[in-house]
Formats: sequence, C-alpha cells, structure tokens
Amino acid sequence: MRFFSLGCASGQRPYMAPADALSPADRLDLELHAASCVECAQALRDAVAVDAALKRAFAPLRARRTALAPGRVRMAVGPRRPDPRSGWLRAPALLARVAEVSVALGVTLFVITGSVEAPQAAAPQPRSVIREYFRSQPPFDELGYFRWLRLARPDALTIARDDARLPVGGLFDTEPAEIQSARAASPR
Amino acid sequence: MKAARHATSAAEPRTDRELVYAARLGEMAAFDALFYRYRDGIFRLGLAITKDPSAAEEIVVDTFARAHRALARLEPDDSLRPWLYRVAVNLSYNRRPRKNVQFSPLEDATDDTLANEEGSPSTLAEQAELRRFVLAAVDVLPPKHRLVVVLHYLNGLNLVEIAHVVDCPVGTVKSRLHYALRRLRTHLASHPELGIEPRRPLMATGLRTAKPITAAVPIEGQ
Repeated sequence: MRFFSLGCASGQRPYMAPADALSPADRLDLELHAASCVECAQALRDAVAVDAALKRAFAPLRARRTALAPGRVRMAVGPRRPDPRSGWLRAPALLARVAEVSVALGVTLFVITGSVEAPQAAAPQPRSVIREYFRSQPPFDELGYFRWLRLARPDALTIARDDARLPVGGLFDTEPAEIQSARAASPR
Repeated sequence: MKAARHATSAAEPRTDRELVYAARLGEMAAFDALFYRYRDGIFRLGLAITKDPSAAEEIVVDTFARAHRALARLEPDDSLRPWLYRVAVNLSYNRRPRKNVQFSPLEDATDDTLANEEGSPSTLAEQAELRRFVLAAVDVLPPKHRLVVVLHYLNGLNLVEIAHVVDCPVGTVKSRLHYALRRLRTHLASHPELGIEPRRPLMATGLRTAKPITAAVPIEGQ
C-alpha cells in the first residue's frame, strides 16, 4: 500500500519526446503509457506546448545572418607564411632548431655532471721540455722560496746554478769557477 | 559517361573532412567554403550568448582564426560543426562584456526580422509579445541549461552534437534539457496564450484519473 506519491517511473521521457530525443518505438510506448498515467499525459501535453512555443520564439532568430567575409579571418590570422614543405626554405629553421637543442643539451649536461674544480684523474699529457723547466724553477714568493730551499734535495739545487753568464764588454764580470763553488747562491 | 560522373561528383558538396584536408594543402577556397557553411550558425550562437551583434561577429572571426591555426591537427570524423561550436561557446563565455554598453536582451534581436513578416499589425504585435515572453523566460535559465536550449532550438543541434559541444555525456544533456523545459513550463504557464495549464496538486485533478490527450503529438516518420 502506497501512502505518498512517488511519481511516475517514466522520468524524463515526456519532456524528451517533443525534443526528438526518443526513437519512434519509445515514443509510441510513451504515448501508450500516457493514456493510462495522468502525470505523464499532463507532462507530455506541457512538453509539446513548451516545445512549440520555443520553436516559434526562435524562428526569427534562426533567420538572422551575418555579412562577414572570409577576408576578416585572413586579416586576423595574419600574413601567410612561406610553404614549409620546401626543403630549402626549411633548412635554416632546422639548423636553428638543431643549434637550440645542442645548446640546451650541453647546458643540461654541464648542470648535471659539470664542476668548477679540476678533474681528479687528468689524462696523461705529453712530455714538454718547457713545462718541465718551469716546474723545476723555484717559486717566486718568499715564503714558497724558503720552503723550497728547505725541502729541495741538494742535487736539485744545482738547477739554480746560472751556467750561462752574460759577457760584459767581452769579459766575464766574475770568474765562473767562483760562481760554481757557491752552491747555495740565490738563483735570483 | 566519365564526363557525366565527373559532373555529378563536382555538383556534390564536399564534406568537412575533405574541405579541411584541402585547406591544409593551401586551398583557400576550401577554407572559405567552410567559413560560409558555418558562419551564420556561429554568429547566431554568439549572439544568443553575448546579446551583442558586433561581439558575435568577432566571435565568428576568432573561431575561424583558431580553426585556421589548428588546420594541421584537425581531424573531423564527419562534421566540423561540434568543434567550431565548442570553440565559439568558449569564446562567448570568456568574452568580457564591453564597458558602458547596454546589451539588449535576446528578444530584441528579433525585432528587425519581425518587421519583414506579413500580417495585421495587431497579430504581429501579439506574436512579438509572445516571443519576447518566451525568450525572456529562456534568459532566466541558468547558463548551462540555457546553452542546451539555445543549441537545440536555435542552432538545431541534436543531443549527440550538443554533448560534443558542451563536452559531457548525452545523458547529462538530456537531464539539462529536461530540467530547462520543466522550468520553462513553470514560467510559461503564467501566459494564457500559450495554452499551458498552471500546475495543480495531483489530488485536485480528479483523483488521478486519466485525461485524454488533446494536444497532437506527431510521431516521426508518420
């Protein structure tokens, strides 16, 4: 026994019928149902009336047109670009793109793996006489020089010996033998 | 025979898909054909939402400008209409209304077309008044429901196409249309000319006895 009306189970169907949202079979079924259901019959009548009123009201608006020309769209789009299918025209853009990608890749690799410190394991360099000469020279600052004097082996000090003496007026300023005997002389 | 076949194929309008592919290859006439095919519908849709004719024209231009930029990636299955209408709806709702401009309601847009209709002045005035009343009721609807009503009754889209445009399931479109029509029924019942009975309690209608259907309900295909 039902005390309160729960409404008809057909739900939205009466209002969908005039809106062409039902198949002919569903529509026939709905009309057969509406013959015995007051709610659906009333809803169907109302839906038909509302649908007709809406169609009448929108009819003049459906006749409205605009005189716009496609040139307005072309102006909005802007000047036409050259055909990108041509390979020669596409080459600069491709090169620029490759350059962009390689720079971006390089920066990314530098950020990930790069460091401002010197590499730990340097590659073996070829023997250089010039580099060895400058490496064997004593340091120029005083502190470094005294430390070098104390830590350098005695035979290493011989490299401070100035064998080549510049002649002054065709003669040596001092005897080379005396200079050679002074082993702890300053190289400077 | 071959010439006749060529003539019939030339007389058949090209589909949207063919026109899109032709426009993609640089055939501007194909894009113009698309423009002329959907120009008025998009204009009416923009006019119904913005109620501003110049804004509606700008919406038409912006919509086709977007379509032109998107030509390379457009892949219409059958019709380009849902895609274009969706863009137009988004542009219309995102459009900021112009300042210091009084927009006329939707019903005022019908006045110039009504002036061209035939009939006695009193009949025309009654019809115009009735249209204003109905369109004012449509204007009161919430935007989502109003959009469904406008797309269906003004632009003639079916429920599946509306679902594509508003990007929701067909069931949701049905629900929105049902809600909108029920609400419109309540509004329109106050006008005697429309023949909609005001809603009465069910018990007052003769203890739920069935009433014969007086309004003709045409069935499709009959």
